[in-house]
Amino acid sequence: MNHDINIKKLRLNCFRQSKVPGEFMLQLRVPGGTVDAKYLTMVQHIANTWGDGNFHFGTRQTFDITGIKYDKIPEVNEYLETYIREVDEELCSVDMDQVAHEPQPWDPKAGYPTIGARNITGCIGNYHCICGNINTFELARKIEPIIFPSHYHIKINISGCPNDCNKAHMCDFGIIGVSKIDYHPERCIGCGACVRACEHGATRVLSLNEGSGRIDKDPCCCVGCGECVKACPTSAWTRREEPLYRVILGGRTGRQTPRTGKMFLNWASEDVVLGVLKNWQKFSAWVMDYKPEYLHGGHLIDRAGYKKFKELILDGVKLNPECLVAEDIFWHETEYRSNFNVKPPAMHHTAGPQA
Amino acid sequence: MGYSLNIAQADALLSALAKDYRVYAPRRFRNQGRYSATDVIRYGEVGKFSEIVWQQKSDYPAKEVINPIQQALFYFTEDEYRESKGPAKPVLILARPCDINAQRVQAKIFAGNGGFTDVYYERMREKVRFAMMECNGGDDTCFCVSMGSNKTDEYSLAFRFSEEGLDAEVKDPDFAAYFAGMPQSGYTPSFVEENELKVTVPDLEDKAVRQALKKHLMWKEFDGRCISCGACTVACSTCTCFTTRDIIYGDNPEVGERRRVTASCQIAGFDQMAGQKEFRATAGDRMRYKVLHKFHDYKVRFGESHMCVGCGRCTHRCPEMISISATVNKMNAAVSEIKSGMAKQ
Repeated sequence: MNHDINIKKLRLNCFRQSKVPGEFMLQLRVPGGTVDAKYLTMVQHIANTWGDGNFHFGTRQTFDITGIKYDKIPEVNEYLETYIREVDEELCSVDMDQVAHEPQPWDPKAGYPTIGARNITGCIGNYHCICGNINTFELARKIEPIIFPSHYHIKINISGCPNDCNKAHMCDFGIIGVSKIDYHPERCIGCGACVRACEHGATRVLSLNEGSGRIDKDPCCCVGCGECVKACPTSAWTRREEPLYRVILGGRTGRQTPRTGKMFLNWASEDVVLGVLKNWQKFSAWVMDYKPEYLHGGHLIDRAGYKKFKELILDGVKLNPECLVAEDIFWHETEYRSNFNVKPPAMHHTAGPQA
Repeated sequence: MGYSLNIAQADALLSALAKDYRVYAPRRFRNQGRYSATDVIRYGEVGKFSEIVWQQKSDYPAKEVINPIQQALFYFTEDEYRESKGPAKPVLILARPCDINAQRVQAKIFAGNGGFTDVYYERMREKVRFAMMECNGGDDTCFCVSMGSNKTDEYSLAFRFSEEGLDAEVKDPDFAAYFAGMPQSGYTPSFVEENELKVTVPDLEDKAVRQALKKHLMWKEFDGRCISCGACTVACSTCTCFTTRDIIYGDNPEVGERRRVTASCQIAGFDQMAGQKEFRATAGDRMRYKVLHKFHDYKVRFGESHMCVGCGRCTHRCPEMISISATVNKMNAAVSEIKSGMAKQ
């Protein structure tokens, strides 16, 4: 067996080192976590031909195939061409001949060019779910060509509604589908179903006004989930036609300082979300002085500081009129060791161009 | 007299009608459905052929035009009051036979019931003319044929819609002038003769059977399934129940208006008496009340037909997927079981 393997190169190629020497686990991107079921036969073929017959649901919704021997990787990569072309190139309109928006010809027989931007995950969203406000995988397919291929690391989770089943709060850049809700008082029978639904499942912003027989709403604290629309027997609450998004920033897990993300944008349009993501690589490149390293996106925000992040990430983005932006963000981290950040200045990380 | 109009001619007809009538038809309200990226089809004023949704049944019934969810009855200032004004302009409603037949039920309740005619209903109803939309078969919640409400001759105009335009029959000579110069045809409307769904309404003449049915376990199912939201009765073509609500203007309780607001027998509190007593305290009790009212009690009191016209909108709108036709068929099975039990005794 070959014991001289460049495992970092293979990781970049989406093959993860196994504890069994010489074996690797392939991770196939499934943007938004939804793809034609026909690809399951390809997964099965890879697992049975080159893997150990097992399949694992990747925690980032990748198709993971374990037990692939090192010397079989070129064959597997050749087989992957169809999948990468159909899923990334065709379905998501990804330009495979560039990396981080710089020209770099892709060898279609060599598998994925980079692992950098992680697979975009999504709940099933309003393609199926009665709670969803947005089509999660359609959004994922629009984001994929913006962030991939790129060596800069970003984890994006998309949730169809503020229930956030897909943990937008636990990644670098979490996107939650929200709706602005209109009230049609002429259709309201004052039954209070929306009031109870909001109290039970959302933020208690509705109350029955005994003087008017109508529903009063505290618009400041509405999370835009649409539970009132679902509960209403008369269609007196309806979603506005254009879906909007909430962006949760800087959530992460990890061995150092795990934390939940905080709200960065509220009521952002799709154009704003995509515009912000188009600045992600520029921001990452600036923080790391144009040298990508294996570092989670949230740490880049820490290094630059939120205000610098905000300046770079919103550069040239025209906000929709409803869009709100966090002036500042104060994350609450779990410090596995207290005063984690207190250390000799020489150990401090840098951000931005270094002399 | 029959006519065949292309879309441009149909638009010209609608513009001409709109000069003399407020024309209402099912319209699509984009993204206003219960779930995101779904639409609602409900009644609204139309001015163009393309605005009319004829391909599918509306989610909400035509009754909303005549008997809206909310309407002002009168306005008050201290000890004075003024009645609200009725419609100034005549109204033309495009409706399928089920919706037109439903108006017979609404008229029974509002006009003459208990020797009293409801002025707010009457002043609207007398302004209304119907243009019957020939039904293209409805959907898998419809059972108008079982209820005998698939046909009607209570219309001034009849329309058959297609992608190319509309065929029209002019029954009421008052409308003949609008068709002057339009291409004539031999069109006469046809009616749905059979639905996919068939409902058998049980015979409940025997009081002992009714009493046994009232206690039957079938109603318990709805305690767990029905959420008592009232969407079924709001979507019902025939339901008329309302409550009144005084709305106060600003901070002066002496000034305001009295409104009529749709009420639902399915919502808890509908039958609450002084002392908090409720006759039907569970979802199952309320469901039983509604089903027996629609498929027995009304007919006993008013004769002619059952209160349900089989439009299926209650089934269509129910968020918990409770089917009225399945429920009536379950009731029919329960009655058979009760009757055979009684025969053995």
